[in-house]
Amino acid sequence: MKTIIGFEIHEQLNTKSKLYCNSSTHYRNVEPNTNVCEVCTGMPGAKPYPMNQDAIDATVEIALMLNCDIIENPVYIQRKHYDYPDLPSGYQRTSLPIGKDGKLNDVGIWEVHIEEDPGKYDPLSGLVDYNRSGVPLVEIVTAPDIRNPEDGRKFLRELSKVLQYTGKVKPEGGTMRMDTNISLEGGARVEIKNINSVKGAYRALKFEITRQKNLRKRGVKVIQETRAFIESQMITRRMRIKETDADYRYIPDPDIPPLLINAKKIIEIKSAMPEAPHLKLKRFMDTFGISHDDAWAITNEKEMADDIEFEIHQLNKTKKVVDFNRHIIKKTIEYKKLTYKQSGLNGINVSDILKLIEDGHLTDFNAELTVRNIIDKTIDGIYTDRVTLNNIENLGLAKINEKDIVEKAVIEVLNENSNAVEDFKLGKSKALNFMIGQVMMKTKGRADPDIVRLILKKELR
Amino acid sequence: MGITHENLTNYLDRIEKNRKINAFIELNPDAKRDAKKVDEKINSGTAGKLAGLLIAVKSNINVRGLRATCASKTLENYVSPYDATVIEKIRKEDGVIIGMTNMDEFACGSSGESSYFGPTQNPSAKGRIPGGSSSGSSAAVAANFCDISLGSDTGGSIRNPASHCGIIGLKPTYGLVSRYGLIDLAMSLDQIGSLSKDVSSAALMLEVIQGRDFKEGTTLDISQQDFVSNLSSDLREWKIGFAQEYKEFTDPKIVREIKKGLDRLSSNGAEIVDIEISNLSKGISTYYLTVFVEFFSGTRKFDGRRFGYNIENVCGREVLRRIMLGRYISQKEYSGKYYKKALQFRSLIKKELLTVLNNVDIIAGPTVPKLPHKIGDKVTDPLVMYGYDLLTVPANLAGIPSGVIKVGNVKDIPVGMQIQSKPLGEQNILNVMCNLEGEK
Repeated sequence: MKTIIGFEIHEQLNTKSKLYCNSSTHYRNVEPNTNVCEVCTGMPGAKPYPMNQDAIDATVEIALMLNCDIIENPVYIQRKHYDYPDLPSGYQRTSLPIGKDGKLNDVGIWEVHIEEDPGKYDPLSGLVDYNRSGVPLVEIVTAPDIRNPEDGRKFLRELSKVLQYTGKVKPEGGTMRMDTNISLEGGARVEIKNINSVKGAYRALKFEITRQKNLRKRGVKVIQETRAFIESQMITRRMRIKETDADYRYIPDPDIPPLLINAKKIIEIKSAMPEAPHLKLKRFMDTFGISHDDAWAITNEKEMADDIEFEIHQLNKTKKVVDFNRHIIKKTIEYKKLTYKQSGLNGINVSDILKLIEDGHLTDFNAELTVRNIIDKTIDGIYTDRVTLNNIENLGLAKINEKDIVEKAVIEVLNENSNAVEDFKLGKSKALNFMIGQVMMKTKGRADPDIVRLILKKELR
Repeated sequence: MGITHENLTNYLDRIEKNRKINAFIELNPDAKRDAKKVDEKINSGTAGKLAGLLIAVKSNINVRGLRATCASKTLENYVSPYDATVIEKIRKEDGVIIGMTNMDEFACGSSGESSYFGPTQNPSAKGRIPGGSSSGSSAAVAANFCDISLGSDTGGSIRNPASHCGIIGLKPTYGLVSRYGLIDLAMSLDQIGSLSKDVSSAALMLEVIQGRDFKEGTTLDISQQDFVSNLSSDLREWKIGFAQEYKEFTDPKIVREIKKGLDRLSSNGAEIVDIEISNLSKGISTYYLTVFVEFFSGTRKFDGRRFGYNIENVCGREVLRRIMLGRYISQKEYSGKYYKKALQFRSLIKKELLTVLNNVDIIAGPTVPKLPHKIGDKVTDPLVMYGYDLLTVPANLAGIPSGVIKVGNVKDIPVGMQIQSKPLGEQNILNVMCNLEGEK
């Protein structure tokens, strides 16, 4: 049975001030109702300031990144009326589409528009915090092109990546909110509201498909309704049945002249915007000859992908750069639970490391330790500009290129591990790897493992 | 005692002795302090354009620290936390706010009788309504309680009471004066303007409050104009249009006074030409459909949660009627039928007026079709009441400026002539008024 899924996604734009006033958009970790003014609290007589230009430009950029056509006719701002304590004016200002008919991978994008976030209402205490009120949001509406929860999750992750790539949305993450429409072929469409994470969307879809299938099995017709996702229980619950219950009485907002986005502005934004991650991924696969998974991993963060291109340009060694980033850097930052951007690594210091490897001053083993060293220093607030031979020598990480020192360590290991020598002679090749490890330990990772292997083999003969 | 302080003392004394006029809802307790400060500036030669003048403000404009009640129980205790842009500008030019004036509740009316704080008397026509909705602002000027007052005009709320009280009223071009801080009746029509005893005060106030406001997106991006220094009463070569349709809807006694005014303009050198405004009668329904929907929308914030009371629970009949009608006609199923149709008619009316104004310098005619009724003779039929706005709403629908000046009396009741011009033609209006003023 075919499943039909579509999303409406909201993400906060990362502007300094709110959409219709000069209050700051900081609402996390600040005292309630401190970043507010008469506009965003809807005091009598207050009017919206002209729309925040940064927010408009960001929305245009996001629409372009999603391959939308930008509307060049006047775009009206509508008032969407509903009564809720977090909505200070009793209506939300929401624009008509700024971009239309886009695509992200296989999913159609119906429209992209801009609106304002309401405040935060705590039903238990009855208190409202208006710090969030008026923060600009971009809303993205997809075509019902998604067929299962897994694809839905993939799409949302990809979209989130596109949004992060623009650098125009809140970087801390977790600000993405969505509604989803879901129906089984031939059945009524159910809208689920209140989803606050990609994981939540996946769970909500899973639950809803099961619910609708079960109803069908029992011969009960699925009715068109709006349901809320209850995150704590991972279920959906009915909000309202009839569409007419939510008549928002839309009118064009008389206080806000319609937006006009001209062709010159669109070209300007287009030429300055970053390559979309799904396009970058494809280009990486094609030009570097790497797998989809590898390309996905290293394009996940725009900063890393950009630095990799820089490093390739510096060293002219594609495979080494990609592998080092894909395996060593990725592993290390994930272990530290950091993003690449937070790690303090960059195209210059990573290029230095790669160059030291190439010139025979660093083993892969100690290159990893050097990476860790940079990250640890970053955590302590020390930024690493460059990595020089002097640096790694001081850290005791420089490779030992003197053969006699390595040979001395090999002899010591052979003397101390007679059991392993026996095993090797009985044909257990694992014993060789063990002894290589012992030599590496003795040399603190500074010996070249390939040379150690050669010397060991020679001595064991 | 300095001149401002002295001026204030005289006004306060007169207000106290004539309390039954009920022009003010609240007097500014800091006026004396403000006046003294201005007097110091006058003495040191650093005072602004409005130094020495006492300004009364309609109660739907935010003045920090004073109550902007909109003459409604809804906002009975709402003290403004900020200054409207016009107030900031007035303060900058050293005008002193004397107090907040009475009005029709939420500016919904044209008689001044629907205030929660009681009706205002007409100082110029005893026992009669002063007109509205800027009833207190108009009465305060007519009774000599202040130098200039601010009103708001959505469909005639400055011009109607100016006509009934026999003073000068000026509604500027939509977007010439910032609405930031004006509590909405209908956002697409509202405009702040002045009421005054003479034309030069109107020019002076407009000069101060005009201009682009970065806080208000509908203000026009134009340079400051010098209305005072450009005042002139020379009307030679002027063409003044008078629409025959005006006679059809207006009390003949009023038309007679307006004709006398036109005769004077003609004898001062202007040419009076007949014009046709065929859409005149369509203005009322277009106007009210727009007002209902926008007023409904604008009043959603009066939910009683953060300030005041829930509006529907405490407001008067007319306010409630407009909210209910707005709620009804803005429903999804009717939006095409009413609000959108109103927007279409609006552009039609605007087009016709602008076409007419291409051929004449100004349009002159009556302001209100009927004379002000006696206080207590309440008009219960809303359609009759809405009819009072027939001649004033077209200027708001078209966004054009319009002024009113007294040209005569009918049985001691003042009659004001309405003068309309093309967008940003305020100087033309002021100059015609200047000419008529000199003729007094």
